[in-house]
Amino acid sequence: MRRNRFRLLLAAWPLLFPLLAVPSFAQTAETVCIQCHGSQPGPLGAPVAAWRTSIHAANGISCHNCHGGDPTDMANAMNPARGFLGAPKENDIPAFCGRCHVGVKEDYLASAHGRALGHGGPQCVTCHTNHAVQKATPDLINSQSCSRCHDYGRAEQIKAAVVETDRRITEVDRSLADLHRTGIVTKEMEDELFSLRNRFHRIFHSVDVDKVRSQTADFQTELQKIQGHITAIEAQLQRRKVWGGVVVALLVCWGIVALLVFESYRKEK
Amino acid sequence: MGLGKKIADFIDVRLGVRDILEQNLTKYLLPRNINSWYTLGAVLLTLFALQIGTGILLLVYYTPTADGAFHSVQRIMNDIPFGWLIRTVHAVGANVIVLALLLHMLSVLFMGSYKPPRELTWVAGFLLLLLSLGMCLTGYLLPWSQLSFWATTVATSSSGEIPMIGDAVLRFLRGGATVGQATLGRFFALHVIGFPLLFGLLVSSHLFFVRRVGISKPPFGPDWRPTEPPKAFHHEEHPGGIPFFPHYVAKDGALVAFFLALLLAVVFFAPTLFFPPATFEPANPFVTPKGIKPEWYFLWAYQTLKIFPSEFLGLAVQGVAVTLLLVLPFLDRSPERRPVRRPLFVAVYLLGIAIFLALGVWGHYS
Repeated sequence: MRRNRFRLLLAAWPLLFPLLAVPSFAQTAETVCIQCHGSQPGPLGAPVAAWRTSIHAANGISCHNCHGGDPTDMANAMNPARGFLGAPKENDIPAFCGRCHVGVKEDYLASAHGRALGHGGPQCVTCHTNHAVQKATPDLINSQSCSRCHDYGRAEQIKAAVVETDRRITEVDRSLADLHRTGIVTKEMEDELFSLRNRFHRIFHSVDVDKVRSQTADFQTELQKIQGHITAIEAQLQRRKVWGGVVVALLVCWGIVALLVFESYRKEK
Repeated sequence: MGLGKKIADFIDVRLGVRDILEQNLTKYLLPRNINSWYTLGAVLLTLFALQIGTGILLLVYYTPTADGAFHSVQRIMNDIPFGWLIRTVHAVGANVIVLALLLHMLSVLFMGSYKPPRELTWVAGFLLLLLSLGMCLTGYLLPWSQLSFWATTVATSSSGEIPMIGDAVLRFLRGGATVGQATLGRFFALHVIGFPLLFGLLVSSHLFFVRRVGISKPPFGPDWRPTEPPKAFHHEEHPGGIPFFPHYVAKDGALVAFFLALLLAVVFFAPTLFFPPATFEPANPFVTPKGIKPEWYFLWAYQTLKIFPSEFLGLAVQGVAVTLLLVLPFLDRSPERRPVRRPLFVAVYLLGIAIFLALGVWGHYS
């Protein structure tokens, strides 16, 4: 009886191995919008492929965040009763995007671009595209794009005014990402930079050269403050490396000396 | 006479401590041809002590709740003096321990030191390896990061594949249907109390077995001959050998220093080597991070599960492999330990290492 029990336990051991929890790291399911549209050819499936390359996808903003509906229920995914909005008409696009990009919408509506909405003027997707929307940079202001509607001269002046500050914002953003990657808490600085970047980007949409120039200095000062914090942290990390180098070198020396001591003992017989 | 000597004499008269030290240090003789692989035991003991020390210090500030764990680890890393050092040494140390354990196991296998009469030493050591992997896994959840949360979610979901009792086991491990506060509480208790107690017992047993049976002589050199396993207890002596102290302790010290240098080199110069980006994001049950992969020592298992058509089949194959290793001394009864006289074993041994590495690399890039 006891022997049988032992045999049973021995046979069951491999089956109990999952208790040792070897990770399988499976992938979780996507929303029903992506499951359905992602498998369709042509215009119905194209938005999914475009969205996957976008800044929205990178930040976890999915179909239902803009278009509404129920992303968990295939039957009611596009039910207006579940908040489904569908695709906006051209004149409704600023309000559609402006639900999240509030400041940009305000400056845009007050600008010459916004005033021309419905009369051949541009709206959000004219410059940013829709599903494949990328992180906004001054490169969006270019002669090819702007010349579709008007002369590039004024746009070029705005670009010249913002390009340096935008470059510095990108640099600071990269430095913060590097610090975050090492376990440094950067949330407060990231929030400050996020707010600064949003305020800075919204003023482009006013398409007012004087306004952009007058506010750039304030943004530069704020950026310097964040950069100062980053520099102090980077210096601290550098000091850690120097001390670390000293400790590692001492340990290696200790190891070599101990080996030499062992060798001298060994020869002693 | 100094106070120190008076105290030492007082204790020695009552407990005979000098004799114990002499028998286990200066009069404890090791084989003359003992090699560097034998130092891995001392290396591992040092690393275990470091894990216990840093673990206790982390406990001072760590909060084992779903709401507070991630914040407390962030606080340790950013606000507590030397907290970053203690936490990084603890996390990187776990990886170095697994590396040293694997090297220790491979050297014992190569030299056939697991063979009779050392079966119990092998079993205790192999269980220590499995328990260490268990400690790595339970420790993984504690920071309550995205990596912690999702790694534990998928790792525990594997147990749901066991026929009939899978769901019950899954719920038992998680303390509910999903990974949450109950899981964190369970893993925390196992990581800081349950497993360490078992670990201490196994380490003590392993050391006792090593000391009681005697160190095995490396199976190299012209005078080595296989001996039949003893029918009665026999302590293997090494007359004319080198004293454990100070001779071999010097070599132990050298290897301990090199391993600590390796550990600290990673801590100071490549601190993110074992920390993917998801380590620094708080757990979010609604967002699955992309490309989440297990630690390097689980990659072989991860890839094995992907090769087989069913997850249960993959787990069963892993279980069989682990079981075969555990009971190896009871299957391989030949007294021959010299690698040159064991070509089949050495071929399987090398093939096993190659498969482990190939599956690991494949798993990493898949």
